[in-house]
Amino acid sequence: MSGDDPIAAFRVEAGDLLEGLEQALLDLSHQLDNRGLIDAVFRGLHTLKGSGAMFGFDALATFTHHCESAFDRVRKGLTPATPELVSVILSAMDHMRALVEGDGAGLEATGDAILERLHAAMGDAPVAAATVAVAVVAAADGAVVADSAKAQGWKLFFRLPPGAMANGTNPLILLDELRDLGEAQVVAVLDDLPNLPDLVPTDCMIGWQVELRGDISREDIEDVFIFVMDDMELRLEPLECTEEAPVIAQTQAVPDQPVTVATNDAAATAKNATPRNSESVRVPAERLDILMDRVGELVIVQSRLSQLANSGVEGAAGELALRSISEEIERLASELRDTMMVLRMVPVASLFNRFRRLVHDLSRETGKTIELVTEGESTEVDKTVTEQLADPIVHLIRNSCDHGLETAEERLQVGKPAAGQVKLSAQHAGGEVLITISDDGRGIDRTRVRAKAEANGLIQPGQVMTDYELLQLIFHPGFSTAAQITNLSGRGVGMDVVKRTIEGLRGSIDVASEQGKGSTITLRIPLTLAIIEGLLVRVGDGRYVIPLAAVEECIELPVSEDLRMRGRSMIQLRDALVPFLRLREVFNTGTEPDQFQKIVVISTGGERVGLVVDQIIGSHQTVIKSMSSLHREIGSFSGATILGDGGVALILDVMHLVAFGQQREARLRAVG
Amino acid sequence: MAESNKPQWNEDGQLEVLTFDVGEERLAVEAVMIREILDLLPETKVPGAPDLVGSIVNFRGKIIPIADLRVAFGMAIEPSTPDSRIVVIETELDGEQTHIGLRTDKVHEVALLNQRDAADTPAVGLRWRRDYARGLVRRPDGVIVLPDLPQIFQSAQRGGDRMGLAY
Amino acid sequence: MSASILTVDDSSSVRVATRIALTGAGYSVTEAVDGMDGLNKARAAKFDMILTDLNMPNMDGLSMIREIRKLGNQAGTPIIFLTTESDDAMKQAAKAAGATGWLVKPFVPDQLLKIARKVLGR
Repeated sequence: MSGDDPIAAFRVEAGDLLEGLEQALLDLSHQLDNRGLIDAVFRGLHTLKGSGAMFGFDALATFTHHCESAFDRVRKGLTPATPELVSVILSAMDHMRALVEGDGAGLEATGDAILERLHAAMGDAPVAAATVAVAVVAAADGAVVADSAKAQGWKLFFRLPPGAMANGTNPLILLDELRDLGEAQVVAVLDDLPNLPDLVPTDCMIGWQVELRGDISREDIEDVFIFVMDDMELRLEPLECTEEAPVIAQTQAVPDQPVTVATNDAAATAKNATPRNSESVRVPAERLDILMDRVGELVIVQSRLSQLANSGVEGAAGELALRSISEEIERLASELRDTMMVLRMVPVASLFNRFRRLVHDLSRETGKTIELVTEGESTEVDKTVTEQLADPIVHLIRNSCDHGLETAEERLQVGKPAAGQVKLSAQHAGGEVLITISDDGRGIDRTRVRAKAEANGLIQPGQVMTDYELLQLIFHPGFSTAAQITNLSGRGVGMDVVKRTIEGLRGSIDVASEQGKGSTITLRIPLTLAIIEGLLVRVGDGRYVIPLAAVEECIELPVSEDLRMRGRSMIQLRDALVPFLRLREVFNTGTEPDQFQKIVVISTGGERVGLVVDQIIGSHQTVIKSMSSLHREIGSFSGATILGDGGVALILDVMHLVAFGQQREARLRAVG
Repeated sequence: MAESNKPQWNEDGQLEVLTFDVGEERLAVEAVMIREILDLLPETKVPGAPDLVGSIVNFRGKIIPIADLRVAFGMAIEPSTPDSRIVVIETELDGEQTHIGLRTDKVHEVALLNQRDAADTPAVGLRWRRDYARGLVRRPDGVIVLPDLPQIFQSAQRGGDRMGLAY
Repeated sequence: MSASILTVDDSSSVRVATRIALTGAGYSVTEAVDGMDGLNKARAAKFDMILTDLNMPNMDGLSMIREIRKLGNQAGTPIIFLTTESDDAMKQAAKAAGATGWLVKPFVPDQLLKIARKVLGR
């Protein structure tokens, strides 16, 4: 967590800000007149500039200032948001990232080039950017303006604006401040006090006459009143008339003096060179609460232990008490460990969001129209896993965009929509997280794969292979099917590297492809632990958890209806027929059906299946525990969880059950 | 029999084991594998699991399978008695250290077996698969079987109904 | 008893920096992450001073200041806003909303403490 180092906190925050900005910009590129997005971008840039300047990231502040100004103009309706502007700001984000990470040394040219594009996009004359410093208003106490006219002292009269006290200005503190400047004689002036009925108790109607002695500048006094100067009454005259004419009446607002702050490279370098702090994870507060609860319990057990130690209870009774405490501590320790692991879990959304930018860029580079569709962003994965998955997925998306998808013309010719689609989805399944990258492109050309493999000597000419074996060849080191090496692929990273990375995570990679229809790459990464929201149900004597994300609806199954449905395997669900499974039969419970059975309709990948259960117990925060390898092969369950009463419930594998239900239905149809 | 599954007799030709009854057989498992001896726990049946490991329990926050070795030794399943205990062992399965609870009818003692009393598993005259035992040890009060647990669990896995679903 | 200060800023780095500076000088600090959070915290407890950013999600600083001024419990509580605006318009708007004064970003801890002393007194 951010801890107490503001620079480290800033780096984390700047990373988040930039990510948020990037999302807003990408959204904006689709809806250029969305005010909310424009404001969001402006606010992000504004905060980045402000905080950057605060923590010595001056190059960043200066650079960001230009982007902010541009968006300020967009925000004020002076310039429209254009695709080009969004695109420039997107490239600017990368530069900002570099400035946040490092000291920006050697990056000036990059920055200048971007700003030049920015000004072109805004229709401005190009400006050599790095030479333009941010105009930062001098702080209230800025010792900027020198005052030569020193006096022996001042005679001043002031009266605060009526609402000043309600707005937090305390005249007594102001008087104290004046006294701090020098010897002061204060006289209250009550002339303008209204009659009692007209008196507003929160308005300050009192004026003060002060004689201040000492070597005090006019600015010192004005500084005291800086927050109220604009609308107060302040008269100032030197105590002993020197050459300066008696001054004067209602002061006007003194315009703030803009001060040019030169970017101090040395200082910036020094500050930015602070070693990068350890990485941080954002944790939802509720999970910290769980942790807190456990720690609370631990404290209680600890006090029981010391009580026991001091009680002098010996023999069997003492041993029993000690055993019970020891077991309690063991349980807590294991729960603490589990909770800690859950703290490391992050939704894949952050990972997926990165690819929106990638697809945006690839779309521009290839000239293809590409849509990225994401699913299951809330699926949680260990943070380390997320990080290690990034590169392989980048490669797979590149592959899809570059080799998989056709050009718009080619697509139209074969009757596909002009825009190609890349779909990225994540879900928990079988104690694993399943990530699929699919496209609706041309699919893998088997003839090409074979030719290439033969040319490379990977297989014998004419060697008989199953389709599966043939497709596996793409994971062979050095294999590349691109007839033409484009800018995107052929960078020396092949599918073999992807495969190795995934296997390094104890995962597996699979490919499926249909010529003309597209390809799907499936990554399976094991999860030791995860938390899902589940629906707890009872089937016979057993309790089971159905992942809530897969549950579409729950409907009653009255006994009469159940009897009527004997021998059938489909239920009418509004306008559709849905296959259903009686879990009592599937699990062979040997029990009688409950009088009030329910059908839980679950779905995955667009397919639905109804599960008949005896009872719906309720929703359940489910910590997925993996089962031993003795049970891992049983397809129906993706893991197990421990219930509040210490009992165990199995977690249903939705994908498996849906597939099973659909297959059984197909089989019955074929037979019937 | 895999070499690694052979009993690891120490230099004095001894082996420290826990002995317990499963049905009419007396079995011994190396003491180093034993993690804990528990009273029976509420078990959760796993539909579709091999009969040998048909249920799981919550063992201190961990889900562990409960194995009934009677299945491996071809005996009838009997209801539990007041003497029934769960012996939790730790063994390597598919390259993973795995805890497994063995359902036993009675736990006897930690004993030292002598190598000179040991014999290979006979090729004939057994009611169960020969490769399920690593050997027999003769003792005054009868013969003790040293079961080959990894072998037993691996064949259970292979024989299991992988779909886990009744058709 | 140390004066209590509510800091309202969506930037955690600014919050950390201000917290370090203020607690180091003996003030007790409560943090809020946006205008809505700030308003809720101001509603729940009386503070001796409120330090707030203006540009924030959920509820911007100006709206928050206006709402806080409507609360009975914060009557006369000094509210200092942070601004990077070089034009006067923002200052005027914030003052009209009921702010007491301002602090220009970027600032160093001494400037912040000076402002705190200025509005809280010695």
